[in-house]
Amino acid sequence: MTKPIGIVVCGAGLLAIISGCGPGVAPGPAPSKKPAAVHKTKAKKAAFVTIDWAASPITQTGTRQHMISAFEKAHPGIRVKLTTMSTNTDTTRAELTTEIEGGSKTPDVYMGDVIWPAQFGHSGLAVPLSDHLPKSFFSRFAPGLAAGASYHGKVYGAPFFMDAGLLYYRKDLLTKASLPVPKTWQQLVSDSKALEAKHLVKYGYVWEGAAYEGLTCVLMEFLGDQGAKVLNAAGNKVLLNSSASDKAVSFMRSLITSGVSPQAVTTYQEPDAMNAFDAGDAAFMRNWDYAWSNSQTKGTKVVGKVGVEPMPAFAGTTEPGYSCIGGWDLYVNPHSAHLAQDLTFVEWMTGAAGQKLLADKYSEIPTNAAVQKNPAVKKLNPVLSIVPKLRLIARPSGTPIYPMISQALYQNVNAALTGQVSPKAAITRASQQILTDLKGHGL
Amino acid sequence: MTINHLTDRPKFSMQRRRAVTGLWFMAPGLLVVLAVTIFPILYSIYMGFNTISLTTHGFHFHWNGLGNYRLLLSSSLFRYAIVFTLVYALVTVLVELVLGMMTALVLQRMAWGRPALLALLLLPWSLITVISAEMWGYIYNGVYGALDAILLEFGIIHKPIVWLGFAKLAIASTMFADVWKTMPFVAILLLAGLEMVPVDVIEAAHMDGASNWHVFWRIILPLIRPTMSLAILFRVLQAFGLFDLPFVLTGGGPGTATESIAVLGYQVMFQDLNFGPGAAVASSTTVVVLIIALAFLWVFRGMAEEGVA
Amino acid sequence: MKQDTRWVRLSSIIVALFIVLPLLWMLITSFKSPSQVGITPPPWLPHPFTWVNYRMSFTYFGFQRYFLNSVIVAVSSTLAVLLLGTGAGYALARTPVRGRMALMVGLLVISVFPEIAVISPLYLLMRLLGWLDTYQGLIVPYTAFNLPFSIWILRNYFLSIPREMEEVAQIDGASPFRTVVSVILPQSTPGLFTAAVFTFTATWTEFLMALTIDSSTPFRTIPVGIALFGAEFTVPYGNIFAASVISIVPIALMVLIFRNAIVSGLTQGAVKG
Repeated sequence: MTKPIGIVVCGAGLLAIISGCGPGVAPGPAPSKKPAAVHKTKAKKAAFVTIDWAASPITQTGTRQHMISAFEKAHPGIRVKLTTMSTNTDTTRAELTTEIEGGSKTPDVYMGDVIWPAQFGHSGLAVPLSDHLPKSFFSRFAPGLAAGASYHGKVYGAPFFMDAGLLYYRKDLLTKASLPVPKTWQQLVSDSKALEAKHLVKYGYVWEGAAYEGLTCVLMEFLGDQGAKVLNAAGNKVLLNSSASDKAVSFMRSLITSGVSPQAVTTYQEPDAMNAFDAGDAAFMRNWDYAWSNSQTKGTKVVGKVGVEPMPAFAGTTEPGYSCIGGWDLYVNPHSAHLAQDLTFVEWMTGAAGQKLLADKYSEIPTNAAVQKNPAVKKLNPVLSIVPKLRLIARPSGTPIYPMISQALYQNVNAALTGQVSPKAAITRASQQILTDLKGHGL
Repeated sequence: MTINHLTDRPKFSMQRRRAVTGLWFMAPGLLVVLAVTIFPILYSIYMGFNTISLTTHGFHFHWNGLGNYRLLLSSSLFRYAIVFTLVYALVTVLVELVLGMMTALVLQRMAWGRPALLALLLLPWSLITVISAEMWGYIYNGVYGALDAILLEFGIIHKPIVWLGFAKLAIASTMFADVWKTMPFVAILLLAGLEMVPVDVIEAAHMDGASNWHVFWRIILPLIRPTMSLAILFRVLQAFGLFDLPFVLTGGGPGTATESIAVLGYQVMFQDLNFGPGAAVASSTTVVVLIIALAFLWVFRGMAEEGVA
Repeated sequence: MKQDTRWVRLSSIIVALFIVLPLLWMLITSFKSPSQVGITPPPWLPHPFTWVNYRMSFTYFGFQRYFLNSVIVAVSSTLAVLLLGTGAGYALARTPVRGRMALMVGLLVISVFPEIAVISPLYLLMRLLGWLDTYQGLIVPYTAFNLPFSIWILRNYFLSIPREMEEVAQIDGASPFRTVVSVILPQSTPGLFTAAVFTFTATWTEFLMALTIDSSTPFRTIPVGIALFGAEFTVPYGNIFAASVISIVPIALMVLIFRNAIVSGLTQGAVKG
């Protein structure tokens, strides 16, 4: 019998008072009288199960704890213990992998990156949720999200909250120069050049171009805008080596050579782009939704001067341009002893109540389609209002070797951005590397 | 005439007793070293010969012979990482040695403020590498970095330079940050060596009319050769394990320009969860380290005998 | 041969600046408000001057816990190394050990072995023992990895102590253990200091093992804590540098106090060999 510690401790009368086991546990008679019997009845009365939730800190402090409290109120039978994971995705992944592979029963539920389903599904590190939940459950998510959390036809992660690439711009500068908000990349380039020529701003456009996962996201947006693909739908053929890909990367490089973007974007991650934008040094920025609340913080030079729109597209193609999907899913540990409770937790967190709280109080983008479209939620801030308009593109994470694919992409494209190799050479090399990786001959 | 020679028979039994005592004294330390360093090194080599798949119920090992190593040799990433790490180790150590020697000579001649400078030199050495990497990352930053600001201020450059944005520049910048942190230690080590050169030997040479240069090359350098070899061996092996600095400063970029063996190994193991090839990458450092160490021993046989016997 | 000529003075100033300027910049930045940290060109002095980064390191990032963890791990490892190192060092210096040279060289090589070569088996070993996210999970490997160098230093230091006193003690019937404690140790303080300082510094600064074995918040040491400062998309340089400055203080003090021990220890130990 595997009873969670919570019951045993709280069932033991006196201990309950000391450890403050919360409502539902009336301090019973002295346990010394009839320990076994008391234990039994107490356990029945105080029947709640404690599940362990491992999650990295979410942008704003207190988010996770607040959601747990709300969940516990809705489901008094379940307690949630929060385990804080590292803010470094790789560290978190390594830790979860080794724990679960080692047979650990905890965490019961964990928050993991949206790019993990294939890697984790392949190695049996997550419960296939679609085996335990009805098909109808997954229709609650915005289009494409459940598919993005699938591997070989099974859904492994429940999309929890979403990140999406967005275009931030300086309203004040555009007004001053009477320029329109760019809907196309061409417009963004000419706006930038005009603003730079008038010395209104130092740089036109800042984005994430360092050799890391974020560059893969940016690249996916440009590839999508050009109609290029990395892999086929089955994830076993490389389609990257095309003139469309070449055009996408050449355009990225041209942003730097033409002075629209500073040379330094080749070393930029999110904080660097944010910093340049907050300091008033850039007219446009590509960043995730978190950047909105960041640019609203007092003390930055741009408070009240920032607007946000979907990403631009190339002239003559469908608008808006693609936004890369980031964000986090909820996964269930296959060794968990409380599958039913885990699923209840996942259900609530991705349901209307949980998602509304997440958007309302913490401005995260909900994954629940109904909540996304809810007028009250859309009114909360400009980012949430444009979410339904976004055209989303996922990274090619449908294969367990996605991390290697991403490395091949960002390392080679970064080299092209710095001018070490030509865009064409970078694309060719990345394609070859991915091909080798798919064959299982890569490193 | 030591006490040992008073009698002969007790000496023999004493020798044996002492040998036993020695074993007892050494055993705990050696056991810990054996369990926590030697065993993992060997196990890592064993892992490198396997395909390791991750499952719900643990790691599954399948013997794969030299498969992972064949994979490594055919991988341009691995070949680059090996060459980069070796070149990096040799260049930084050479620069450290030259700068360290110059600093040591200055220190030796200082009449005033020497303790203060010594203390300063110990600061970078004792600094957490992660901190030093964050510090240099902030200084090198292509937008708000202090280095660009200073160079612009003095009109040395006219446009900010993105130090970590170009392969060669990023490698040089990483090396510079490394030299900053480790050169002081080398300097102190060399100073220790210099201090042991008998003053009368040098004075005698000067009396014979030898130039400073001649004295340095012909007298001082040969005398401190053991110290120097030790410093070189130490630093080369240490530099070969390069991880913290590029991991935090450049993340291995731009491209893969600063991806050392250790960073590559970490990536293969902990990002790709590819433990077999990852272990092979890790074990390849074992092989290289052993080769370097043996090469040193061979070259500096004399020193080893003086030093160790 | 002190001859403080002009070029010596000039060079010493250059060396000092080379060392100090980057550190000074970190110190200055730690007193800047968050909005000043990313300005171009950077203001040379903090204006306004603020302690907010220091306060936040403690209240928001819980730096005190990392600091405490680092102290616990580093001090315990250092003590363990001294204890085991003295025994082994003495044995190698004074008792007939077969294959001593091979052992000494082996130890020296192990002390600079790249950590990456052992990290995954070490991780598995620690998991097997249930030592992940515990203090001993770091203390034991730290001890093992720093022991070889300390054995080397201590052994060489013990060699420089004249044998006669020891032999007198032995003739007087003292056990080998007593001999070490009452004769050897009192004369070896500089050697012990050197071994201690080296071990403490190495454990205080170690990153990869700490990241892999003890990465959960309650057991993070300073390097891991600082590397993981911030949320997913933020690098709070001000807070990082404030925490860094605090973490430099104890080790800087130690280095200042034991400066001579380090230098003389190097002379006596590693070098003389």
